[in-house]
Amino acid sequence: MKWTTEDIPFFINEREYIDTALIPLLPIDFGNGIRQSAAMSEFITVITAELERQFKGRVLLVPPFTYLDSENITVCRDNLEQWTNKMKEEMKHVILITADPSWKKVEADIEDLLVWMPLVPLENMESEYKRQVVSEQIKQLIPLIMDKWKSSP
Amino acid sequence: MVSEKNHNVSRRQFLTYTLTGVGGFMAAGMILPMARFAIDPVLKAGAAGDMNAVAEVADLTEEPQRFDFSYEQQDAWYTSEVTETAWIYQEGDDIVALSPTCTHLGCTVNWDANEDHPNQFFCPCHGGRFEKDGTNIEGTPPTEPLHKYQVEVQDGTVYLGKAEPQI
Ligand code: FES
Repeated sequence: MKWTTEDIPFFINEREYIDTALIPLLPIDFGNGIRQSAAMSEFITVITAELERQFKGRVLLVPPFTYLDSENITVCRDNLEQWTNKMKEEMKHVILITADPSWKKVEADIEDLLVWMPLVPLENMESEYKRQVVSEQIKQLIPLIMDKWKSSP
Repeated sequence: MVSEKNHNVSRRQFLTYTLTGVGGFMAAGMILPMARFAIDPVLKAGAAGDMNAVAEVADLTEEPQRFDFSYEQQDAWYTSEVTETAWIYQEGDDIVALSPTCTHLGCTVNWDANEDHPNQFFCPCHGGRFEKDGTNIEGTPPTEPLHKYQVEVQDGTVYLGKAEPQI
């Protein structure tokens, strides 16, 4: 389900089925890294939209968790934990998805499924090719998510 | 006294704003229908030719296969590219194209994806299952069959229209 007035009523009525929150983690950089920041945002947005399409009936795609790229990642992790703790009052699973390598440093301190994806620059890609690349990535993600469900249904 | 004066001023300002606001709304109300007229024929033309080329008949088998296709969709203020998927198979002379959208809560179903239930459509979200023709299997969450696309064949190409409920 998307974070829209069209989808949220389904979430409210079908909470027992829609038990997984999907949170994109996006770094914001206004300096030299601004291109990279935009590329990550673009890539992760496409990937999460496609995941939402695959798993609409069980996954709620929430607005992205954004943070300054210059911020200490441990601090980000603590802030993020406030989000996830709150969400876990309502939902069984939380899945985090990012292209920012900084998260690898704190991966061990995160109890939710953290999916790190190597950034594929979608810019200048022809749309047919783009679709292929994205669907390849999705194919690899699907089993990760289904395993997560299987391990604690 | 001063505060009273201020009060009056702000009240007048308030009225002015409100009136401008209402005027703004009225203008919008008048422009909207005209814009509609201007756009409508275009929209209609789009609607008439709403079939999309999705597959070649020569590629079809009796086994449902997955075909992705995309087209432009006009939303309120921007055009976006929408990707859809269809499971298509041939049955005698008939071509059947089913929507992959699970009729329970909308996940994407896959053909023959679960070892325990071969030759069925399987939904990864809550284990919904459907027969090859899209009929939902009793005892699983979905309560109606998979939707079916309108199919048209022209010169060996399969065109799909809207997906419609089977019941
Ligand atoms: S969305 Fe397919 S079984 Fe629930």
